Amino acid sequence: MNDHADDAQPELPGRERRRLQSSRLIQYLLLQAVIAGGCVVALLQSLPGPPAQYQMTAFQLSQAGIERAVTLPYFSPRRDAMNDPPRFSAQFVRPSGEAAQPWSVFLPRFTNGVEVSVNDVVILDSRRDPTANRPDRNTPAIAVIPASVLRDGDNAISIRLFIWGPITGFLDRIWVGPDELLRPSYDLRTLVFVTLPVVFSSWQAILAVILGIMWVMRRHEAAYGVLAAAMAVGVGQAFLQTPMGGETPLSKLNVILISSAPIESALVLTFALLFSGWKWQRYGWILFIPGVLLALAGLFGNQAMVRALFLILAVPMVGISLLIMAIVTARSALRRPNVASLLLGCAVTIMLTCWIADLLSVFQMTPNRIFTARLSYSAMLVAIGAGLTWRFARALNQVDGFAGRLVTQVREAEEKLKVSFAREEERARAAALARERTRLMRDLHDGLGGQLVSIVALSERGNGSAGIGDAARAALKDLRLVIDSMDDIGGDLMLALGSWRERAMAQLRPHDIALDWRAVTPQGLPVHPELRPWHVIQIVRLLDEAVTNAVKHANAKRITVRIETLAGTDGLERGCITVEDDGKGFEITSDGAAAGAIKAARGLRNMRSRAARCGAELELSSCAQGADHGTDQGTRVRLTLPHRFPDSDGAAG
Amino acid sequence: MNSLSEGAKAEAITVVLLEDDAPTLWRLQDALTKAGYQVKAAGTLAEARACLAQGAPKVLLTDLQLPDGHGVDLIRETRRRFPDTEIMVISILGDEESVISAITVGATGYLLKDAFPTDIAATVRDLVAGHSPISASIARFIVRRTQSTPEPPPGPALNTTKLTPREIDILWGIAKGFSYAEIASHLGLSRQTVPGHIKNIYRKLEVHTRGEAVFEAVQQGLIKL
Repeated sequence: MNDHADDAQPELPGRERRRLQSSRLIQYLLLQAVIAGGCVVALLQSLPGPPAQYQMTAFQLSQAGIERAVTLPYFSPRRDAMNDPPRFSAQFVRPSGEAAQPWSVFLPRFTNGVEVSVNDVVILDSRRDPTANRPDRNTPAIAVIPASVLRDGDNAISIRLFIWGPITGFLDRIWVGPDELLRPSYDLRTLVFVTLPVVFSSWQAILAVILGIMWVMRRHEAAYGVLAAAMAVGVGQAFLQTPMGGETPLSKLNVILISSAPIESALVLTFALLFSGWKWQRYGWILFIPGVLLALAGLFGNQAMVRALFLILAVPMVGISLLIMAIVTARSALRRPNVASLLLGCAVTIMLTCWIADLLSVFQMTPNRIFTARLSYSAMLVAIGAGLTWRFARALNQVDGFAGRLVTQVREAEEKLKVSFAREEERARAAALARERTRLMRDLHDGLGGQLVSIVALSERGNGSAGIGDAARAALKDLRLVIDSMDDIGGDLMLALGSWRERAMAQLRPHDIALDWRAVTPQGLPVHPELRPWHVIQIVRLLDEAVTNAVKHANAKRITVRIETLAGTDGLERGCITVEDDGKGFEITSDGAAAGAIKAARGLRNMRSRAARCGAELELSSCAQGADHGTDQGTRVRLTLPHRFPDSDGAAG
Repeated sequence: MNSLSEGAKAEAITVVLLEDDAPTLWRLQDALTKAGYQVKAAGTLAEARACLAQGAPKVLLTDLQLPDGHGVDLIRETRRRFPDTEIMVISILGDEESVISAITVGATGYLLKDAFPTDIAATVRDLVAGHSPISASIARFIVRRTQSTPEPPPGPALNTTKLTPREIDILWGIAKGFSYAEIASHLGLSRQTVPGHIKNIYRKLEVHTRGEAVFEAVQQGLIKL
């Protein structure tokens, strides 16, 4: 147990907290008062008896040679009467018509033992019944009167009451009558005072095992170990018999165990203290002094001494333990309201009420002598079982919640990891590409590039080889394009177009063609994270082709490049690049190829194939196609980029 | 004639040209001479140093891979000795591998070896006029370096920590192919100030001295730690 619940409570102002505390205290005390009242009402109820006509109360008591009339129930002042027990005698009448059915003698309650004889024939000696010998059990007795003994008319009954302490003798009213009328009462009492305690003792044995296992698995929770010990002691105490014979080592052990109530109550009290958050202290051993003293008395003294001490040590010890437990459980139920503490508190109240009732009965302040403290201990056992189950269920819920949270967290972490792994992979890929590009660049720079430059220079020296110079220059331009497109542009095609603009301007300058560059939308084209170098090469070559066509075949004076982002009908943004010239245009046949020069036709076919590979749409229009275009002049190449570039170089055509 | 008047204006402008490939050297020299520049051609580092010993040129154009060493050393020396000399690297591919390393020692921009003669002359003229050109691919390389990455990207080392957000915005614009006018209007600048910003960018990317280089390396290391 810890104080987490305390910490979790929101910090209230002092006055507010005190008010809440006192209102909780009042509620708790009211509940306990109701429970105690209920107990008192239940204790005042007497068990139903057989028909009153068979009840016998008037007896002649002969004791130490003196004879006098007494009325049952009778409290004997003596604590020890084994050699000359008080003898109760009376007459009863068996009507002559009832010879057919058996008659019985029913003694609902007596301490400590009885010997019943009818017409001087002994029909019952309770000392032979081990359970009847325990004064703390309210064991009833019944005996069928043998038919041969019973006479029609007057019969004599005599009862000898044996008393061996620790409490004084007692004989309740008795019934003599037809067995079938007496037995239901006897059965009811047996059920309540004999069978039920056995059932509860079995329950206690099970609890001892469960708590023992719990303590073995969770050594740090000593409270469970202590409670398991208490339960084990209780079970031993319940199933052992009162020794009636002489003194043997075994009987000594027996005496110690049977008088173990103070040890058991000390253990239960220790459990309650530990359960409410108390840390074990050295002075805690004080709790066990009465139990140890009693055990020592059993070991070195005699049975009578143990019995005498039991009354002085055990009974107050049980009461004090109950009182301390009542306070401790009330405190913990108030501080940290929870089901386990509340149940324990209610059980303690029940036990305390019963213990007080028993004490009154011992001191003959009640008309009867039914002991209920031991029986009410079952309430404590039920509370412990229920509290344990509640805690177990709550712990399971917490584990479930924790597991659920853990699963969620693990899933989130996995997602993050996946994303970062993909990012890392992408980064590694980009780095590898950059390294490869650097290597390629150095190679080309040192080899091919230098040689091409030499060809350009040499071709300019001799006038007749301008074609070779152009070819070499074109090769250099392409080389730069390849290197440029391998650069990591982060999916921003505008960066590739920036370099292309420079190259195109350098290409157009000697031909006196102006390049009009218009970025219609401010950001130019949308960013495509999936853009790969080969997409860039295809697009730039396509644009190169368009410009080359304008230079070579259209006699254009001005080329306009329009860059814009279009919002499509499907709501997706698409980049659009338009290359327009003011040249003479050309005829486009029905299959989309140029009708003019074979070279130009091949150029157009190339452009279409490049666009298709990138998933882009290519639109060609030329003014020579139809006169109704009016102001439209020259050729227009309109490239609409896909919303997402394809991963593989699939659609070629 | 137009070319004569241009030549007269460029009379005082001296260009030291270092290129080991003879045909290339010849065509560059031809283009610059025709444009009226006074060109001192060199085929090796030693020859170039001899040319520089005669006095500070207005412009130094140099290749990087040379038979007797690396052009970066010459750029560094020249930058130290003649702070007013404009330096440009002659590159085959205009790739960042060669250009960035030249920029960090003091070059401002590059000239492609196969550029048309008119473009060669125009580039040098702009350079002399104080306009340091910057290509889209180089701008792209620089801005990609300003983006934080967990591990150092491949390629030459470059310290971009001194660049201001505005300068980085300008580089983005150039990388995306926008003209100076478009960049100026996007960023709310005057068109005339853009070349000045670019000059500043070059200056900030330059590692001036050996000591400073070490200091910056330590600083960067400390920042990363």
